[in-house]
Amino acid sequence: METTLEDLALDLNTTTTLEGTRFDAVVTDSGVMEVICSNNDEFPIHIAMTDTQILSVTPLFHVKEVQEDKLVELNTLLLQLSPAIPLSSIGLQEGNYILFGAMALNTTFENIVHELEVQAENTLDVLEAVEDLLI
Amino acid sequence: MGILKDMFAALKGAGSEVGEAIIDANAVRILEQEIREAEKAINNARQSLTKLKGSEIRMKREINSLNTDISDYEAKALEALNQGNEELAVKVADRIAEHETDRDEKSAEYEKLSTEVRKINTMIKNRNKVIQKNKRELEKVKTIKELQKTTSSISCNFAATGSSAHRVSKALERVKAKQAKWRDNMEAGDWMVEEENTDDLSKELKEAGIGTRGITGNSVLDRLKEKQRPSA
Repeated sequence: METTLEDLALDLNTTTTLEGTRFDAVVTDSGVMEVICSNNDEFPIHIAMTDTQILSVTPLFHVKEVQEDKLVELNTLLLQLSPAIPLSSIGLQEGNYILFGAMALNTTFENIVHELEVQAENTLDVLEAVEDLLI
Repeated sequence: MGILKDMFAALKGAGSEVGEAIIDANAVRILEQEIREAEKAINNARQSLTKLKGSEIRMKREINSLNTDISDYEAKALEALNQGNEELAVKVADRIAEHETDRDEKSAEYEKLSTEVRKINTMIKNRNKVIQKNKRELEKVKTIKELQKTTSSISCNFAATGSSAHRVSKALERVKAKQAKWRDNMEAGDWMVEEENTDDLSKELKEAGIGTRGITGNSVLDRLKEKQRPSA
């Protein structure tokens, strides 16, 4: 049976990980699921589905929030950081710096939970690393 | 040129407007429709190919059968000649000529059919490659479309918070404070459990070394010495 974002939201809302992370998942009108992880409730993860993938996107900051003279330094730092972050990559989407992951549509629920928990942690690590370059 | 390069070139040309839809939903539907139609065309081509292949096999069988007949008649014509029956040999030779004409016509037709089958087969394979490539391209387009959906809500979020100065730092501080509070609570919980398991009197007695005598090597040795001592 095909998994929908609604199914996923229901399962996430009743899950607690071994590390004690809980999830608050809502499917928005635009067809994107917004997930707040209890280990990082300030930076929600946005989940979207294509025919083959589940995309998890965490908005980090807008390019306008970067100190003007630090943009090149920030981009270099992010490129260097990206390979070191487990399961997530860093991208730029319409002026927004994002942390994102992609999973196969038929991945297990346990893998999705693990990915989200790690992504929420990664978000904090990345933001801590670049904090001084933001306004 | 790959579809991604096309899309990003278009985006660059448009001045990279925030929230601008690179992907027209209609374009996605058209691409999907094209793939479906191409698949349908391939299925039809496959069906005709099956029929053509059937005719090709049948024709090959007929040619083989004619060749066998020709060899057979040749042997018979030779036999008639050996018997000195020239008249019969001529009749057989005529039959051989008929068969050979028939075989040559069929062979020419067979060659044409074989070429046609090979052509259709190659066409189907090539079309399939194109369809697979289109499907991958479509997946990329859809991925970007979905990413756009998440980005549009991101833009709303940043707008809602007003993208104030130190937004990220403040948020990080709040998360860190919550995490510290959570750790403190955990430690407090552990302390409570320890406290509940040891009441004050037990603690005082323990500190005074009362009631804490356990079995040690020395106590066992003392006991054994006691046993060894001759009873009075």
